[in-house]
Amino acid sequence: MLETKGLTKYFGGLCAIEDLDLTVRKGEIVGLIGPNGAGKTTVFNLVTGFLRPSSGRIAFELKDIVGRKPHQIASLGMVRTFQLTSVFQDFTVVRNMQAASHLDPKVSFWEAIFNTAGYRRKEGEIRNRLLRILDFVGLSGVRDTVARSLPHGHLKMLCIAIALAANPRLLLLDEPLEGMNASEVNTTLHIISEIRKQGTAILLIEHNMRAVMTICDRLVVLNFGREIAQGSPSEVQNNPQVIQAYLGDEDDAAELEEH
Amino acid sequence: MKASRNWSWPFSIIILLAIPLLFRDNNYYLHIFVLVAINIILTASLRAIASVGQISMGAMAFAGIGAYTSAILMKKMAFPFFVAFPLAGVASMIAAAVIAYPFVRVTGIYFTMLTLFLGEVIRLIITEWTSMTGGSSGMLKIPSIGSFSLSGINVDFIHLVPYCYLVFILMALSLLFLYRIDRTQIGTTLEAIEKDEKVAESVGINVIRFKVLIFCIGSFFMGLAGSLYAHHLRVLNPNSFGLFPSIYIMIYMVVGGRKKFSGSIIGALVLTLIPELSRTLKEYQPYVFAAVLFLVLFLLRQGLVDLVERIETLIAKGLGRRIERA
Repeated sequence: MLETKGLTKYFGGLCAIEDLDLTVRKGEIVGLIGPNGAGKTTVFNLVTGFLRPSSGRIAFELKDIVGRKPHQIASLGMVRTFQLTSVFQDFTVVRNMQAASHLDPKVSFWEAIFNTAGYRRKEGEIRNRLLRILDFVGLSGVRDTVARSLPHGHLKMLCIAIALAANPRLLLLDEPLEGMNASEVNTTLHIISEIRKQGTAILLIEHNMRAVMTICDRLVVLNFGREIAQGSPSEVQNNPQVIQAYLGDEDDAAELEEH
Repeated sequence: MKASRNWSWPFSIIILLAIPLLFRDNNYYLHIFVLVAINIILTASLRAIASVGQISMGAMAFAGIGAYTSAILMKKMAFPFFVAFPLAGVASMIAAAVIAYPFVRVTGIYFTMLTLFLGEVIRLIITEWTSMTGGSSGMLKIPSIGSFSLSGINVDFIHLVPYCYLVFILMALSLLFLYRIDRTQIGTTLEAIEKDEKVAESVGINVIRFKVLIFCIGSFFMGLAGSLYAHHLRVLNPNSFGLFPSIYIMIYMVVGGRKKFSGSIIGALVLTLIPELSRTLKEYQPYVFAAVLFLVLFLLRQGLVDLVERIETLIAKGLGRRIERA
C-alpha cells in the first residue's frame, strides 16, 4: 500500500532521514522503532505531506504522493495521529468525531443549507457510523464530555477514534500507548488488532517494546535516520546492530532483552 | 439550549412582524430599525468569516463595494433594485474571491493587518474614482428601492411599512443561510479549523478551501447589506466604509458574543439602539456606549448572549419551582 524509495530529508545540513525504503502491505501491522531522535516522526511527517522530502519517492496505493497536501493525502485514505494528543480540545467527543468525518459520503453544500431530506438522512447515517466507532473504542460513555477534561487514556483513544472517523485504509499511529497504564495498553492493543482485522493496515511508532513485539508483523528499526534492521520481531531483537543501537539507552536495551 | 430554540424562533418572528405596524406613525424609529437590520447582517457575516479564526478589520470595505455597485447600477444604468441587490452581493464576493487565495494563507494578527490595509485601499479607490463614485464629496441622489409589481400586485416601497417588511425579510433570509452554515457539518468543519489547523488537515479538511469559501460567503452578505444601506440613506460617503465603521461591527460581534449565532444579532441590536435611544444625552452618547462595552467585557465574558442565557435559566428555575409547588 505504502512504499517509499530512497526517501531522504535534510534539515539544513543535518540528514534526518537517509535513503529509506519502507513498505507497508495490505492488512499488515508494521512497527517503526528506534532510539529517540532516530527520525521516526519525521518519516510520518514526510509520508503524510506535512514535510516535503529532499529526495526520494513515496507511493500510496501505487499513486505518487510527493508534493501533495496533508488533506489530500488524508482523503486518499492514509490518516495519521500525532505524538502529542491530536484532538480538538474544546470540542465534545462527538463533535470531535463529526469534525473528522468530514470526508464521509459527500454531502453537498446546498443540501446542507436547505436541510433537504437527503441531507438529514446522510447526517443520520454519519452519526450512526461515528457512534459505532465510539462504541468500538469504548468511548460511548463519555461522548458528550469536552475533550479537554478527559483522562489521558481516553484522550489517546479519542485520537485513534478521530483518525478512524476519517475512513483510513492505512492508519499511522504515533506512540498510541504513551503514558498508558498496563490495562489501558492491553485494551488499546486489542483495539489496534481489531482495526487490522477490519482491513486497515497500520504503521506504528511505539517505544513500548513488549507491545511492539506482540502486535507487529514486521519491524523496521531506525537509527540516526537510517534503517539498520528489518524483519519479524524475533529476527530484529536478535540482530546485533539493533542491540548495539539500543545499548546507549539502557532502559530500552533492557526492555529489548526481556524478550 | 433546546428550550431556547423553542421560544426564540416564534418570538423573533412575531417581533419582526409587529415592529413596522407598532411604529408605523414614527418614521424616525422605522429608520433606526432598518439600520439595525443592516448592522445585524453585517455582524452575522463578520462572525461567519471569524468562525475559522480570521478576524477581518476591513469588513466595511466589502459592504462599500456592495453599496457602490448597487448605487451605480441603479442610478447610472437604471437597473431595478431586485437585480442590483443580488449583483451587489456578487460584486463583493468576486472582490473577496480575488484577494482570498493569497490572504487566507496568513493567519492571526497578519491576516488582521492585511485586511486592515485592504479596507483602506478599497476606501481610497472609492474616494479617488470620482467619475463613478462622486469621490470624497459623496454620491448623492441614489434612487430608493422603488416599487415592485408582479402579476397585478403592486407594492410601493416608498411607504415605510412595506419597506421595513422587505428589509426584514431580506435580513431573515440572510440570517437563515448563515445559521444553516453554523448548524451543519460546514460549521463544525469551520470551527475545527479555528481550533487546530494541523489536526484539521490530518483528517483531510482542506483548510485553505474552507477559509476562502467562508470569506466569500461572508463578503457576499456584506455586499447585500451595503446595497440596503445605499438605498436606505440614498447618500454614500467613502468614510462610511473605512476603519472605524469596521471596528464598530467588530465591537457588535464581540459584545454580543461570538460563540453563539444569536450573539451577533443581540450585539448589533443593542449597540445600534443604545446611541439612538440615548440621543437626549447628546455629547455623552459615546460614554454610554463605552459604559455598556466595559460592563459586558467585565461581567459577561461570553457576551450579551450570556445574559440572555442566565435570564432563561432563572425563568426556567422559577417555573420549575412553581410546578413543584403545584
